[in-house]
Amino acid sequence: MDEEILKGRVKEKLSALGEVEIIVGIPSYNNAPTIGHVVRAAQAGLLKHFPARKALIVNSDGGSTDGTLEAVEQAKLDTQSILSVSHPLYPVHRLTTPYYGLPGKGSALRTLFRIAELTQARALAVVGADLRSIAPEWFELLLGPVLDREFDYVAPYYKRHKFDGAITNSIVYPLTRALYGRRVRQPIGGEFGISRRLASRLLTEEGWNTDVARYGIDIWITTTAIAENYKVCQSYLGAKIHDPTDPGSDLSGMLVQVVGSVFGLMETYDFVWRNVLGSLPAPLFGFPFEVGLEPVRINLGRMLASYQQAVRDLLPVYRSIISSPQLEGLEAAAALPEGEFALSDELWVAVICDFALGYHRRVIDREHLVRSLTPLYLGWVASFARQAENETAAQVEERIEKLCLVFEQLKPYLINQWPLQSGEKRSAS
Amino acid sequence: MRAFWERAILEPLRDLGQQALASLSSLIGMLALILLGLILGWIAKEIIYRVLRALRFDRLCDRLGVGLVVERTGLARSSSYLAGQIVQGLIILTALLAGLNALGTPLARNLVDRFFLYLPHLLAALLVLVVGALVSRFLGRSVLIAAVNAQMPSARLLAGLTRFFVMALTVVAALDELGISRTTIIVTFAILFGGVVAAAAIALGLGARDLAHDLLQSQFRPKVRSEVEDPMRHL
Repeated sequence: MDEEILKGRVKEKLSALGEVEIIVGIPSYNNAPTIGHVVRAAQAGLLKHFPARKALIVNSDGGSTDGTLEAVEQAKLDTQSILSVSHPLYPVHRLTTPYYGLPGKGSALRTLFRIAELTQARALAVVGADLRSIAPEWFELLLGPVLDREFDYVAPYYKRHKFDGAITNSIVYPLTRALYGRRVRQPIGGEFGISRRLASRLLTEEGWNTDVARYGIDIWITTTAIAENYKVCQSYLGAKIHDPTDPGSDLSGMLVQVVGSVFGLMETYDFVWRNVLGSLPAPLFGFPFEVGLEPVRINLGRMLASYQQAVRDLLPVYRSIISSPQLEGLEAAAALPEGEFALSDELWVAVICDFALGYHRRVIDREHLVRSLTPLYLGWVASFARQAENETAAQVEERIEKLCLVFEQLKPYLINQWPLQSGEKRSAS
Repeated sequence: MRAFWERAILEPLRDLGQQALASLSSLIGMLALILLGLILGWIAKEIIYRVLRALRFDRLCDRLGVGLVVERTGLARSSSYLAGQIVQGLIILTALLAGLNALGTPLARNLVDRFFLYLPHLLAALLVLVVGALVSRFLGRSVLIAAVNAQMPSARLLAGLTRFFVMALTVVAALDELGISRTTIIVTFAILFGGVVAAAAIALGLGARDLAHDLLQSQFRPKVRSEVEDPMRHL
């Protein structure tokens, strides 16, 4: 497999390097303005927190044309200030290798996992090349639990604006938590720490060249770690501020990849989540300090109009996905004036369950199904934003916690409606 | 006198009797084949219906959208039953043709030969219709969802037009395969299509000039950043 992923030149460099203990991976694609800062933060973090451990920084680039590779080469650490803190026993190596296959994060991670396997690294931290808020402490928080406490997966825990990350807050986090019983607040955060054990396990998995290897890659890693009983924790990293060059400007395409991946993983791990009720917290490391957050603008009118049009025009599509009581609830909500518009938690959760079931049963084309969720999701965001308009971040977090509990309460409905696998049917009869 | 009676009356009567007997046996053979076809057709229909129902063929057809078409058109009580009926019809038709062939007349043989030469075209036309119906349904739904997500007010109209044009093309292709008045069909389609476009253009030009102006402006005028972009970060 390594012949496919790594070039001979890279393998030569790796064999010359020998074994390393820590790897910091930075997947990139046209991140010249920010990657230098990320590399410097990584060097500083490794020198400060792991001076006695042999480390390697790997930038896996997807064919950038804006000078990203040059920016990595030119990134110089202010050694005076670092040296005043500690001295490394091993030099921090930088290695730049382009990855091949799908030009996205999935391919980059595959390259990084393979390098971790070849170098026998104990821990790997992956950070985005577009980060502006990254600090040297992030590396202690992402690598420390793996190196010192035998954790296999360290998910990030960010402080975010109350309306930021609405797909995470309304679908991905509550559903993943209810399904697999582990409270990982940012399951698609982007940054993470991982043990070689889990990285090697993920390398054996098929699907690296599919949709899951784009936006779905983060939820796939998180879900695999939780569902297969790897030791999972979270680290508080503060605020996540990154370049506004988000490639996912197409919302329905984003939902297809993220929510489609969550639904797809439900099929892979249905033998796990069927037997889980309730949820347990994942240990949280780091001090949850307060940070200033970027404001998030919301166009409530546009979202509501999208929802109302969908309930009117997509009714034949929804009839094949959503059960009658839920559909009636959606229609009733669409008739409300803007000032009173609200979707209850119970209705939203039941709708998501119906979409998951419809996806599994293939009631219509799967991409059509998830794309048709887009306006309903916008309706939910509009309802949520209207109700939480004057609430503090803590109150909004309580609101999300309530939503999660509804997901957990309605899980038996999902279990009962989910068709049994043929093997299970035989044993049941 | 006796020889004359024998040659002029009795021999023709004997020949007629033999010919009638031969024709009667062919007729009985044809009727027997048709009867056999009816019985076999009914048995095959029942078997196919029950097997397909057990294999959940109806659910598959519902997913593909065929079930809805069967239900709406009232063709049969279910897709499985329709499949059984199709097989039954084919068996009866085969028996009928075999029966006609058994008659042995040049007219019957010619009819059978022509039918079997035409059969591939019939099956191809049927296949074109089925595939066209599925494609029109899929594309119609794609357009509907994309248009609703883009908040286009005429989403249902666009989806309906997509389905209509795909089906119209499908029907033209199927009729062309059957060789039914090819030139007439193509000319009719072209006139109809051209007429619809011309009527729409005149209607838009005379009755909805402002609407056309607004529509074109909304499509081609450069929008300000906040109008174009979704300001939220969803992930």
